[in-house]
Amino acid sequence: MALTSEVDTTQPTPDGAIAAPEPLPATGDLLIYLTPLAAPALEATLAHLASSFPPNQAMGNILVAAPDTAQSITASQSLGSLTLLPYSPTTSTLLLTAADYLTAFQMAQEHNARACLLLGPESQNLDPAFVRSLATSLLDSAAADLVLPRYQLAPNSGLVNSAILYPVTRALYSLRPRFPQAVDVGLSLRMAERLAATAQRFTAAGQGDAILWPVAEAASANWPLLEIDAGPRGLPQPTSSNLNVLLTEIAGSFFADIEARASVWQRARPLQPADTAAQSLPSAEALPDVTPMIESFRVAYTNLQEIWSLVLPPQSLLGLKHLSLMPATGFRMNDELWTRVVYDFILAFRLRTINRGHLLGALTPLYLAWAASHILLVGDGVPPEQHIQDLAATFERDKAYLVSRWRWPDRFNP
Amino acid sequence: MWEQIQSALSQSTHRVLVQLASFLPGLLAMLVAVLMLTAVGALAAWLLRRILVAVRFDERLSRSRVFAGNSDIQNWSLSHSPSVLLARVVFWGCVVLGTVIGISTFDASFSNNSEISKLLLPYLSRGVSAILLLLAGNLVARFLSRSVLIGAVNAHLQYARMLSEGVKWLVLVLTAAMVLDHLQIGGIVVDLAFGILFGGIVLTLSLAIGLGSRDLVSRSIEKTSERAPDTVAAHPQQSEESGKPPIPIDLLRHF
Repeated sequence: MALTSEVDTTQPTPDGAIAAPEPLPATGDLLIYLTPLAAPALEATLAHLASSFPPNQAMGNILVAAPDTAQSITASQSLGSLTLLPYSPTTSTLLLTAADYLTAFQMAQEHNARACLLLGPESQNLDPAFVRSLATSLLDSAAADLVLPRYQLAPNSGLVNSAILYPVTRALYSLRPRFPQAVDVGLSLRMAERLAATAQRFTAAGQGDAILWPVAEAASANWPLLEIDAGPRGLPQPTSSNLNVLLTEIAGSFFADIEARASVWQRARPLQPADTAAQSLPSAEALPDVTPMIESFRVAYTNLQEIWSLVLPPQSLLGLKHLSLMPATGFRMNDELWTRVVYDFILAFRLRTINRGHLLGALTPLYLAWAASHILLVGDGVPPEQHIQDLAATFERDKAYLVSRWRWPDRFNP
Repeated sequence: MWEQIQSALSQSTHRVLVQLASFLPGLLAMLVAVLMLTAVGALAAWLLRRILVAVRFDERLSRSRVFAGNSDIQNWSLSHSPSVLLARVVFWGCVVLGTVIGISTFDASFSNNSEISKLLLPYLSRGVSAILLLLAGNLVARFLSRSVLIGAVNAHLQYARMLSEGVKWLVLVLTAAMVLDHLQIGGIVVDLAFGILFGGIVLTLSLAIGLGSRDLVSRSIEKTSERAPDTVAAHPQQSEESGKPPIPIDLLRHF
């Protein structure tokens, strides 16, 4: 496929990510890019991939870009129908990074692949059938430029996604991917190129570990997006125990992306139809005790009012006051309040009302209050997915507030 | 006797009035220079702002390769947008330039051996830098105070506000001592007072943290010895006082 690339291929890959160039590069239809894995996990992943793409089933040539940290992968070699391509990985992170997108695209372009699959950390847990359906949707039907998984997670997992990333993405871009920041993605070559062009801005600034937002890119380009059931997946968990640092990193990147795409999401668009096959989340056998989270919110309420009052309007502050007085058993943050809190923090991020690090730090206790409220609701028998969908619908309804305050931030806001 | 007193009084009054008359034009010239440059600065800032908005400077900057991912620069910009920041830099640059020109005009209006010139000018320039020092100290105090407050709240410390106030006053006391020292007011009294106050605040904070954190530290040590390395602890301080068993650490996954 001839394609005039906007990505500067003469620029070195981050940290020299691609290994020494091959004299005769292998060509393939699909490039599967694996992020750094421990040697046993890599072997398990490769075995799963080999079973996903048996040689007798025509799927074209499958190239697998595997990190060369494992001693066994040192040069281009074959494994069943797969051709392995070693590359030198950058640092291992929780999510796919700018460096991953750039390296994947450069390898795909070098080997004339038509599409890319990027599989994130702990990809050995992925269902082989899911990987195959990802590949099929990209190669056979070519119905979408971005294919995202819909994981089946327990209600006490992926809470940042449920509280902020999913509802805000759905409200702003009128797209319904349940995991906008999925750790596994399928990309058409043009989508990979677009993401690589964005990634290059970050890697050129020495920020190869920056987080990209593929759904926002797809929405900006108006390219189709598809979601596929991925079944249960063990998501990688951070090694750092500091929630505040991680939330600051992810929410900060998300808010910055929203700020950069203001002209895109302020346009009215039809909402992507709901997936009727959307499954409910499996119930957790045991839910955690939320008392420490509620206590954390109460400590924050007594100490951070001065900072919150710079960001939130009086109505939201009143709502937080009521919340701080609620007993632990009846602790409920209503969806309208959480929606306004998130929107006001996005606005304060844009307006730089206070230092952005401080702003995102002040969001953490509020997020914990939402998480505690969500878990208590689930404990009371409310289906978790139902609550998350209701929350997302509230974000959609209140989008006018965000747009209005984005355009006229100085207007009176009770 | 009375005539001598009268004569001494009239002579000193005359001398002061003459000196004041020679002092006023210089002061007026300084004020005019400051006001004019301030007006020029305001105009230049307004024009620059209009031009930057017209060329969509903020948008271009946010899309540029250098600044796109540079969150540090974005975090440290004090104004609402880079164009506002630039306009403010131009405005305040003009104000500072006006002040420098004014002081120089003030200086030029006196003869070199004038007592006022010798005393007042160095003090005036020290006064300006002392004001800048005070502003910078206040900014640093506010920034550090908020950083400590948010960090302490997220670490679930009950005395977060006290800690933050302590840090704020430490920086403010340090700033005040530096300003007074810069203005050469107080001499050794300021040094002594600063030492006593600073030491007192540090001691108070140390005692408060030490006494208040005994339980936290012991729980933290216990948790560290038990914690699995690859998961986010839901809340390490799940306490024995709540009477509930510790939370299994993999029950809550934020990511």
